[in-house]
Formats: sequence, C-alpha cells, structure tokens
Amino acid sequence: MVNFELRRDRIVARWRDKKTEWVIEPRYWRNSTIAITCLFILPLFLYGFPHILTMFTTANLYAAIAIPLALQLLGTGRVNFGPQLYLGVGGYTAALLNLHFGWNPAMTLMATILVCAAIALILSPTTWIAKGLYFSLITLILPLTFLDITYIWGDIFRGEVGLVGMSPLLAFKKVTWNYIAYYYLSLILMLLYLLVCDRTVRSRIGVSMAAVNENENVARMMGVRVDAYKVFFYVAPSILTGIVGWFIVHTFRTFAGVTYLPLEFMAKILIIVIIGGRAFLYGAIPGAYLISIVEDSLRRLGPVNYFVFPLILIALIVVLPRGEGLWGLYKKRRPRDYFPKLHVRRE
Amino acid sequence: MSVSIQGSANPMSDLLLQIVIYTLIWGSIYLLISLGFSLICGVLRIFHLGYGVIFVLAAYLTWTFMEDAGLGLVPSIILMILVQCAFALIVFYKGVFQRYLEEEEILLTVSLLVFLVIVHLANYLFPVTAGVSIPSTIIDDIVTIGGITIAWQMIIAALVGVVVTAIYVVALTRTRIGLVIRAISQNLPAALLMGANVNRMYYLAMILSVIPPTICMIMIAPFWGIDPFMGMPLLMTAMLVSILGGLGNLKGSIVASYLIGFIHASVSFVFVPRFMGFAALIVTLIVMIYRRGGIFAGETLW
Repeated sequence: MVNFELRRDRIVARWRDKKTEWVIEPRYWRNSTIAITCLFILPLFLYGFPHILTMFTTANLYAAIAIPLALQLLGTGRVNFGPQLYLGVGGYTAALLNLHFGWNPAMTLMATILVCAAIALILSPTTWIAKGLYFSLITLILPLTFLDITYIWGDIFRGEVGLVGMSPLLAFKKVTWNYIAYYYLSLILMLLYLLVCDRTVRSRIGVSMAAVNENENVARMMGVRVDAYKVFFYVAPSILTGIVGWFIVHTFRTFAGVTYLPLEFMAKILIIVIIGGRAFLYGAIPGAYLISIVEDSLRRLGPVNYFVFPLILIALIVVLPRGEGLWGLYKKRRPRDYFPKLHVRRE
Repeated sequence: MSVSIQGSANPMSDLLLQIVIYTLIWGSIYLLISLGFSLICGVLRIFHLGYGVIFVLAAYLTWTFMEDAGLGLVPSIILMILVQCAFALIVFYKGVFQRYLEEEEILLTVSLLVFLVIVHLANYLFPVTAGVSIPSTIIDDIVTIGGITIAWQMIIAALVGVVVTAIYVVALTRTRIGLVIRAISQNLPAALLMGANVNRMYYLAMILSVIPPTICMIMIAPFWGIDPFMGMPLLMTAMLVSILGGLGNLKGSIVASYLIGFIHASVSFVFVPRFMGFAALIVTLIVMIYRRGGIFAGETLW
C-alpha cells in the first residue's frame, strides 16, 4: 500500500521502506519533465486540429536540426552557417533511392547515414583549414552550391518542383491518426537527439568540447585531441541532421531543395539556436516552437509574410536578452553551468 | 557604330581569345562587385552578409525615383546613392554592426535578416512581372573582336571597374585618410593609441563600401537583368572573391576577381556555363587547403 503525505513544500510517497518526494514549490519543479509531459499529451487536446499538429511536427523537426547544430558549434568551436546542407543530402539520398530503386525507409535510413557520414568526412578537414569567418562563409556557400546543383541536374533532383511520392513511414487508414503518429515520431526523434546531445555535453567529453570552444591551444596543451574532436563533432551532428532530412522525405512524402537549402531556412535554424539561448540544447525546443508558431500565424497574411517574418525575427533578437535569448528570461532561477561564447572571427 | 576587329579563323585561337576577353571583362565586373565587401572586411573585420542589399536598393530605388517621382536618370541615381549611404549608416552600422560587434553570430544573422527583409519587400512591391529596368546604357552597340561579339556596355562596365578600383587603391595608399584606414585595418589598438578617430573612419568605410556595388549595378543593369533576388548571386560572388583573395585584402581581391573571371570564362566556353559557379567554389576550396586565409593571407587592407 502506497501512502501519500502532503507537506508544506512537497508530496511524499512511501511504499514499504522506500520513499519518493515530489517538490511542489515552483522553483524546484522538474520543469523539463513537465514540459516533455505537456508535449506528449498535446495531441489529446489537438486531435481535431491537424494543421496545428503539423505545425508542431515541423517545430519538432526544426528543434531536431537546431540541437545537433548547437552541439556542433561547441564541439568544433566554429559557427556553421550551412547546417541545411546535410538536410538536403539526407533528404535527396532517401528520396532518390526510394523513388528510383524502391528501397524501403529502413534501407534509405542506412544509406542516408552512410552518405551523410561520407560527405561530412570529406568536408570535415575544413574545420582544421578554415579559421573563424572563413569556415562560416564556406559553410554558407556549400548549401547554396548544392541548391545550384539541384537546378543544374533538374532531371534528377527536379529543381524547383522537388521529388514527390516517396513511401511513407506509417500509413493509417484514418488521416488524423497519421498526423498524430507523425507528431509523436518527430517528438521522439527530437527528444532522442536532446538526450544524446545532453548526455554528451554533460559528460567528460563535454568538458573537452568546452575547452576546444574556448581555446584550442590550451585544450591541446591539456591533452585534448582537438583535431579528432573537431572532425567527430562535425560529422556526428551532420549525420543527425541528415536523418531529419530522411524523416521529412518519408513523412511529408515530398522534398525540394528550394525549400530547405536557401538562406531563409538557414536563417530560421540559426535564429532558433540564437533565441533559444546561445548554443543551449534545451533552448532549441522553445525556440523552434516559437518560430514555428510565428511562421504559421503569418502565413495568413499572404505574400506580405515573406518580409514580415524576418522583421519579427529581428525584433525577437533585439527584444530578448542579448545572446541568452529565451534562456535569459529563465536563467534567474537556474544559472547555466557553462555559457559558451561562439567565435566567428577567431584567428 | 558597330566596330569590327578582324581576327584569325582558327577555332582554337578564337576560343582562347574569347576566354581572355571575358576573363578581363568579368574579372573587372567582379572586382566592382566585391570591392565594397572587401573594404568592410578589411576595416571593420566583419562579414557584411547584408551586402547584397546594396544591389537590390540600387536597382529598385533608381526605378522608384524614375517611375514614381518622375525624376530623370541622373537625379534618381544621385538620390539613390544618398539613400543607400543613409541606409548603410543607420540600419547596418548604427543598428547592427555597432550594436552586435562583440556577438558575431548575432551580427551575421541580423545582417542576413535585413537582407531578406529588403529582398522580399522588393519582390512584394516589384515582382519580376513589373518589368523593372534601368536605362543606363551608355553605348547601345556591339563590337566584334576576332569573331567574338561583345556589347559595348560590358566593355564600359569593365573599364569603370578598373577605374574605380584604381581610384580606391590610390586613395587608400596615397592619402592621409587612406593611411589611417590602413592603420585601423592592420592594428586597431595601435591606431587608437596613435589618435585615429576610428568611429569616423568606420562611417567613411561604410560609405565607401556602398559606392562600387552601386556603380556596378547601374553599369551592368542593361545586360544583367534585374530581379529582386539578384543580390544573392552577387553576394556569393563577392564572398568567393573575398575568401579566395584573403579577407579584406584589396590586392587579393584584385587577383581573385580575375581568377574567378578566368574560371567562369573557361568553364563556360570550354564546358558548359551551368558549372561555372561550382567550378569557382571547388577552386576556392583547393586554394584554401594549400593557402589558409586565401591568396593574400595578410589580413590587411593593402
């Protein structure tokens, strides 16, 4: 028999000789648990609003791109301005293999991982070669070049129209169930990324990452294998981003480079990383939800939304605490252990 | 006034001549495109990702003043340059660069967002179907050199590119203001100690960076084609030239402009034009592997 005892600041549950406490004073709430629970029960209330579920699915996917990017920014000590390159690589790999060779999603996932890993490995020496701004600029140009390629070889990539008709991950008879299923899948993917990245940052590896981000020479002197770290933290987040591309292909069943490769998409992801709190993994989630809600609300304005949206993003950057973003509104209660500085101009 | 200069009938020498001519023309135009970008890089030590705005504003403001205000071409251009300078100083320098100089990732992102706002606003107000064009053709004719036909306007644009660059180089190397700007570019703390008015020089650099791309847009408008999204490929060209030449180094920018012009011309005429952007990127990456920091890696203005 479980006995519950209500105290002034907590609920105590006792079962035989075991005791569990749940602190109810707001500043000790397990906020992350509450937030995740809210995200899981959300579809119960939004069952009849598929467009809102799609919006939140998109938000989960934005966060799933922003979380590995935040990890990459710390691990490589460089600001990647083209994370969407691997979204394109992953998406097109999955879509082309599925359409032309009939590969099922499990096989396309393996291929996506392999192709993204191979390309990221080939490009990873840029983390050694390119200093600060050069790295940012090269990474900025790469997805735009890939976008060019999708136009050049329009017969393969279908340029502006994109590829359509890929096989779905799940197919329920009732359409609403599909929306709910994809919401949960995207949520699980995002939380999985958060868990992996959070564990990495909190581990001993995370300490080395912080050292690499702060000062490579000092990190090297302390015995950190800086070059290996930079390659690993360039390749691994790139693969995670590629998997999001694969997910998009098999969820929305359409993939066009013109949607995911241009600067607008990159700006969205960078804004999520910035307004969530500079390279803060948890911040990416409220950042992604905020951006997704703003973007979706503005669509009703028609063509005006194309320039109103970046204006609102600028306003968010100006209004929110500098560099700390949404996290800055929250940090008084929970000081952050390590607040990184992102180095763009580093020599 | 069609001019014809006879050349050989040998296809190989014609091809070589074509590559040489277009290398010079495109190289000079790329120089004009990237000069302001390199200057900002060299003086402020930042990447001006909103640089593409200058091209868009140059075209659409001139058009607005001509069509809506009924002004002539020259008054429209003068007014447009004034608005451009005000925009560069108020929005970019005071609003973005000064505010976020220490938070570089925010600086770059906000610059890019300003660019997107202007591009989409231009697209909303003047979609491609609006038929925006600037009648800035100086000689509306062609010239034939050894079997290769070129528009006079392209040659004039290239010449203007060379002249503007020469003026900038002379101003930066021979005048006192140029000396101060170079000092700031080489060592900011030392320049401050020597009494340089850094803020004023930054203002000047912002204004100087606006002029070459504005002139470029006016010169190339008759043959380049105007659309609201043209700023992006032009920004990419400026970035490639800057990366290849060495950030903020004008010597590097001059060499890199002609090198990229040569790559574009060779790939276009020997292979197919659609690969020229890709080829320039590959060459830039290869140069970066062997020469970190570009061809002139000194990171000084000159």
